[in-house]
Amino acid sequence: MIGLTDYLIVSAILFSIGLMGVLRRRNLLMLFFATEVMLNAVNVAFAAISHYYNDLTGQMFAFFIIAIAASEVAVGLGILIVLYKKHGSLDLDDLASMRG
Amino acid sequence: MDNILSVLIFFPAIAGLLGFVVDKKSARAYGITVATIEFLLSLWLWFSFDTGNAGMQFVEMIPLIPDFGVNFYLGVDGISLFIILMTTLMTLIGMVSMSIEKDVKNMIITLLFLEMTMVGVFVALDAIVFYLFWELSLVPMLYIIGAWGGPLRVYAAVKFFLYTFMGSLVMLVGMLFVAYVYHSLTGVWSFAITDWYALVLPVNYQLWLFAAFFLGFAIKVPMFPFHTWLPYAHGQAPTIGSVILAAVLLKMGTYGFVRFSLPMFPDASVMMITPIAVLAIIMIIYTAMVAYAQKDMKQVIAYSSVSHMGIIMIGIFAMNAEGIGGSVFQMLSHGIVSGALFMLVGIIYDRRHTKLMSEFGGLASVMPKYAVIFGIMLMASVGLPLTIGFVGEFLVLLGFYEISPVMTVLAGTSIIIGAVYMLSVYKKSFFGPVTKEENKTLKDLTPRETWSLIPLVAIVVWLGVYPKPVLDPINKSVNAMLVFMEEKAITAEAKDIIKVPQSATTAGEVK
Amino acid sequence: MEGLVYIALFAPFASSLFAALFGMTERKIFVGIVASTLLATAFIASAMLAFYVHGTGNAVHVTMMDWISAGDLHIPFGFIVDQVSVTMMVVVTLVSTIVHIYSIGYMDHDKSFNRFFSYLSAFVFSMMILVMSDNFAGLFIGWEGVGVCSWLLIGFWYHKPDVSREENPSISPSWAANEAFIMNRIADLGMLIGLFILYWNIGSLQYDKVFAAVPFLDGTVLNAAALALFIGAMGKSAQFPLHTWLTDAMEGPTPVSALIHAATMVTAGVFLVIRANPLFSLTPEVSYFIAALGTFVAFFAASMALVNRDLKRIIAFSTLSQLGYMFAAAGLGAYWIALFHLAAHAFFKALLFLGAGNVMHAMHDELDIFKMGGLKKVMKWTYLYMGIASLALAGIPFFAGFFSKDAIIETAWNEGTIVLWAILVITAGMTAFYSFRQVFLTFEGDERYKKYGIHPHEMYGYVLVAMSPLAILAMVAGFGMKGFEHFVTKLLPDYHMSEHTHHIAWFLGLVVLAFAVGGIVLAYKKYYHGLKRDEQLENSWYYKLLANQYYIPVLYEEFIAKPYAMISNAMWTKVDMKIVDATVDGIAKFLYKTGDTSRKMQTGNLSNYLNWMAVGAVLLLVVAAISAAAIG
Repeated sequence: MIGLTDYLIVSAILFSIGLMGVLRRRNLLMLFFATEVMLNAVNVAFAAISHYYNDLTGQMFAFFIIAIAASEVAVGLGILIVLYKKHGSLDLDDLASMRG
Repeated sequence: MDNILSVLIFFPAIAGLLGFVVDKKSARAYGITVATIEFLLSLWLWFSFDTGNAGMQFVEMIPLIPDFGVNFYLGVDGISLFIILMTTLMTLIGMVSMSIEKDVKNMIITLLFLEMTMVGVFVALDAIVFYLFWELSLVPMLYIIGAWGGPLRVYAAVKFFLYTFMGSLVMLVGMLFVAYVYHSLTGVWSFAITDWYALVLPVNYQLWLFAAFFLGFAIKVPMFPFHTWLPYAHGQAPTIGSVILAAVLLKMGTYGFVRFSLPMFPDASVMMITPIAVLAIIMIIYTAMVAYAQKDMKQVIAYSSVSHMGIIMIGIFAMNAEGIGGSVFQMLSHGIVSGALFMLVGIIYDRRHTKLMSEFGGLASVMPKYAVIFGIMLMASVGLPLTIGFVGEFLVLLGFYEISPVMTVLAGTSIIIGAVYMLSVYKKSFFGPVTKEENKTLKDLTPRETWSLIPLVAIVVWLGVYPKPVLDPINKSVNAMLVFMEEKAITAEAKDIIKVPQSATTAGEVK
Repeated sequence: MEGLVYIALFAPFASSLFAALFGMTERKIFVGIVASTLLATAFIASAMLAFYVHGTGNAVHVTMMDWISAGDLHIPFGFIVDQVSVTMMVVVTLVSTIVHIYSIGYMDHDKSFNRFFSYLSAFVFSMMILVMSDNFAGLFIGWEGVGVCSWLLIGFWYHKPDVSREENPSISPSWAANEAFIMNRIADLGMLIGLFILYWNIGSLQYDKVFAAVPFLDGTVLNAAALALFIGAMGKSAQFPLHTWLTDAMEGPTPVSALIHAATMVTAGVFLVIRANPLFSLTPEVSYFIAALGTFVAFFAASMALVNRDLKRIIAFSTLSQLGYMFAAAGLGAYWIALFHLAAHAFFKALLFLGAGNVMHAMHDELDIFKMGGLKKVMKWTYLYMGIASLALAGIPFFAGFFSKDAIIETAWNEGTIVLWAILVITAGMTAFYSFRQVFLTFEGDERYKKYGIHPHEMYGYVLVAMSPLAILAMVAGFGMKGFEHFVTKLLPDYHMSEHTHHIAWFLGLVVLAFAVGGIVLAYKKYYHGLKRDEQLENSWYYKLLANQYYIPVLYEEFIAKPYAMISNAMWTKVDMKIVDATVDGIAKFLYKTGDTSRKMQTGNLSNYLNWMAVGAVLLLVVAAISAAAIG
C-alpha cells in the first residue's frame, strides 16, 4: 500500500534533487528548472497531505502554487532572455556584477 | 490663533518648500522675510502666554496613530517658551548676518527646514513626535556642514550624524519601553509625555531608562566623553551652521534632560547626581583647558561651548528651583552669547580667511567696533554681572552648592579658567601692535554685520539687568515640576534631595 | 533724598555713556569737561547725603527694582546710604572728580581721550554700586564691574607689545590687565562661595537680614563664610598671595593708578570686611588671620618698596602696605579706624599718584627715579604736593596719616598682639624711608635727567589747582578724627583703647614717630644730595630678592602659568585627540573593518548566494528541530 510516507519521501527526494540543482548548477536556466522541481516537490507534499487529512485546502494551495509558478516562469524567462541578449551568456560566473 | 504651535512648526517648512520656486537673487530676502514673520509669531506666542500658569499652554492634539496612542501633541510651558523664542531669533539673525555666496537659495531652504525641526523638538509633547523632529534636525545640519563646510567637511558631517544618531536610537528604545510599560500598567497605549509623567516606575526600571535617555541626550549636549564630534562639526561648519548648532541644537540635549529625565525618573536622577556632576565638572575644567590650548579662534569658542554646557548640566541636577531655573536661563544665555561669538569669528574669517589667532593681533586698533562687540560678548561669556551670562551661572552654582559645596567650588573654577582662555583669545587677537601687513587694512564691521549683532548685544545687557520677564515664567514652571517630582519620588533619598522652594509650597497650600 | 541717591549713583553712569558716544572719535575736550561736571554733581549729591545722614542719623534705603528671583532667592537692586557707605561715596566721588579734572590735562595728547573718560566714569559707577548696594549680590555686581573697568583701564594702551620681564616687569599693559582680571577672578570665586554659604544658611543676601541672622548660626558656618568672603577681599585688595597684579597694574595711565589702584577699588576688600563687621566680629579666628595677614603684607610690601626704582611701583607697594594696615585694624576689630585710614589714605595716596603723574608727564613717561633728580627747580608745586603726601604717608604729626596709622598701631598694642605691633612699627619706619627716598631722588640732588635729553616742565595750572583739595585734606583730615568716630560708630562697633593703653599712648606714639623720623633722616642722608650707587649692596642677594619681588612673579609664571599651558596642551593633543577622540574613531573604524571584511561574502555570484541561503535554511531547520525537541 502506498501511504502518505511514500508520497512524502518522493516529495523530499524531488526537493533534494531541486536543491542540488540550485546549489550545483551554474546556468541560470538550469537554476530555473531546479526551482520548478522544488516547487513541484512541495506540490506533491501538499496534495498528499491534503488527501490524508481529507481537507481540500492543501490541494487548492497546490493549484495556487502552480498558477504562481507559471506566472513566475513567464516573468523569469522574459528576464532571462533580456539577460542573454545583453550578456550573451546565462552562466552565473559571468554575471557577477554585484561583487562587493 | 488656537493652533499657533502648528503654525510655528510648519510655516517655515511650507515657506521653505515654496522657496524652491523663488528666484535665486531674492532667495535671501525671502528667507529673511519668512524668518522675521516666524520670529514675530513666536513673539506673539510670548505675549499671549499666560505667565501665571505653570502648566502646558496652547495645547494641540491631533491623533496620528490612535491604536498606539501616537498623537500630534504640542504645548509650551515656561521652560520651552524662551528656547523657542531663541530658536526663531537666532535663525533670523543668523540669516541676516550670513555671508555665504554659494547656493544661497539651498542654504535658505535648509535653514527653514531646520527651523521647523528645532521648533518641533521644543513644542512636542508626544515622544514619537519629539523623536521625529529630533532626528529630522540632523538632516539639514548634515547638509549644511557637508555642503558648505571646510576641507574636512565630509568627515565632520558624517561623524556628527552617526554619533548623535546612534545615541538617539538608544533613546528611542527607551521611549518604546516606557510606552510598553505604560501599556502593561494601564492597558492603553500612549506616547504623550504628560501621560508618562504620571507613571511611577520602580527604581531599577528608572535607572535603565535613565541610562537609555542619557545616552541620547548626553551625546547631543555634548557631555564629556561624548564631545569630540563637536570641535570637528564647528571647525568645518560654515558660520551659520556653527551659530545654529551652538545656539539651538546643543540645547536639545539639556532640554531633554529637563523635559524627560527629571520628571519621569526622579529617583534615578537623584541617584545619578554624583556621576553626572563628576562628568560635568570634568567637562567644565577639562574642556576649558583644552580651549586654552587651541590656536584656532573658532575652536576656542567650540570648546568653551562644551565647558559652558557643563555648567548647564550641573544646574539641572541641582534638584532645586535655583539650579534648574538657572540652567534653563543659562541655555538661553549660552545660545545668545555663543551664537554671537561664532558670528564674530565668522566676520573675521570672511575678511582674512583664517581663524588662527597667530595671524591676528592688534585688531582692536583697526576694527574698534568689532573689538567692542567682541569684548561685550566675551564679558557675557565669562559671566560678568549685569550681562546675561552672570544670571544663569550664578543661579546654577548657587543651586548646586546645596548638593555639594566641594563640587561647586570645582565647577566654580569655570569663572577663573573661563576668563583665562577668553582673555587670552582677546589678548592674542585684539591687543598688541598690528604685526601682520594684511591686518592693517581690515575693514571694520559693515552695517549689515553691525545690525545683526546689535540686537544680541541689546539682549545680553537687557536680560543681564532685568531678567525677570524671562526668569519668572521659567521659575514658575520649574517650581511646578519640582513639586510634582517630589510627590512622585519613591525613595526617601530623592524626596529629601529634591527641594521645593518655600514660595511654591505656600502657594500650593493656599490653593 | 531718594533723588539724591539716584543722582549720586547715575551721574557717573551718564558720564560714561556720554563719553562712550564719542569713544571712537578724536579728542574732544568737552567730553572731559562734561564728565568732570557730572562727577562733581555726584560728589555734591554724596556730600548732601552725608550731611543728611550726619544730621538725622538715619540711613536712606531705596529699592529700585527686582533683579534676580528664582526659587526662594530674591535679589533687588537696592541701595543703602548709611554712615559707612556715605563715607565711601564721598571719598570715591571726591577723588574721582579730581582725577577726572586731572585727566583732562594728563591725557591731553592721547588720541583715545574720550574712551578714557568713558572707562573712568564707568569705573566710578561700578564703585558706587559696590559701596551703595544693600545686599551682597549687588556688592558683587560692583565688585566685578570695577574689575572689568580696571581691566579696561590697565590695558588702556593695549597696542603696546609684550616685552621680556627684564625690560618691563609687567610685560605689557594687556598682559598686566589680564593678570589683574584673572587674579581677581580667583578671589571672586571665594567670594561667590561666601555668598552661597550665607544664602543657604540664612535664605537671603540682604545685609540687614544676614546681619540679623548671623548671631544664630553655627560657628563653622560663620568661619567658612567669613573666610570665603575674605578670600574675595584678598583679591580685590591685592593681599598676599594674590598681590602681584597690583604693581603690574601700574601699566595703566597714572590717573587710573591714582583712582583705582590706590584710592578706591583696592580698598573694596577693606570695605567688605568693614561692611560685614557683624559677621567678622563673630569669627575671632578669621579676624585674627586677617589682622596677621594684613600686618605681614604691610611689612612685605614695604620691604619691596625699599629698593624699587620705578616711581609708580614704589607708590603701588606703599598702597599694598597701607592696605595691610587697614586689614590689620579691621581684623583687630577697630573697624572705624580702618575706615578712617581708608579715607585718609585715599586722599594722600591719590595726591601722591597724581604728583607722580605730573612727574611722568614732565619726564615723557620715564619712571626710573635713578634717572630723575633735581626736579624741584621746574616742578615746585608738584614737589610740594608730593612732599605733603609723603609726610602724610610717613605718619608725621598732624598730617592725615599720623592720626589714622597711629591709631592702628595703638590698636595692635591694645589687643596685646605685640608681634603685630612691632612689625607695624618697623614698617612705619620703612614707609617713611622709601617715601622720602623716592621724593629726594626725584626732586633733589643732581639733574640726572639731562643726560637723557629730557626737558621737564610743570603741569598745567588748572590741574595743580584741581589737586589742591587733596593736598589740603592730606594735611587736615586727621583733625576730623573725633567727629568721624562719632559719626560712623553709630553703625560700626565703637573701639576704645583700654585704660592702660590710653595711659601710655603718648609713649607708643613717640616710638612710632621715632621710627618714622628715623626713616626720613636715613633717606635724607643717603639720597638728598644725589644718587650714590652702592654696587656691593645692589649685588647682594637680599637686594636682588627684594628688587625681584621675592621672585614671586617668576615663580607664578614658572609653576602656575607655564605648567597650566603645558597641561592644557597635553590635554588637547594627548588626551582629547589621542584618547577620547581616538576611542570614538576606533569604534567607528572597527565597524568599518567588520563591514569591509564581511563584504567579501558578497561575491556577486548568484549560485554562491544560493549556497549560503541553503546553509542558512539548514541551520534554521536544525535550530527549529533542537528547540522543538527541547520543548517536546
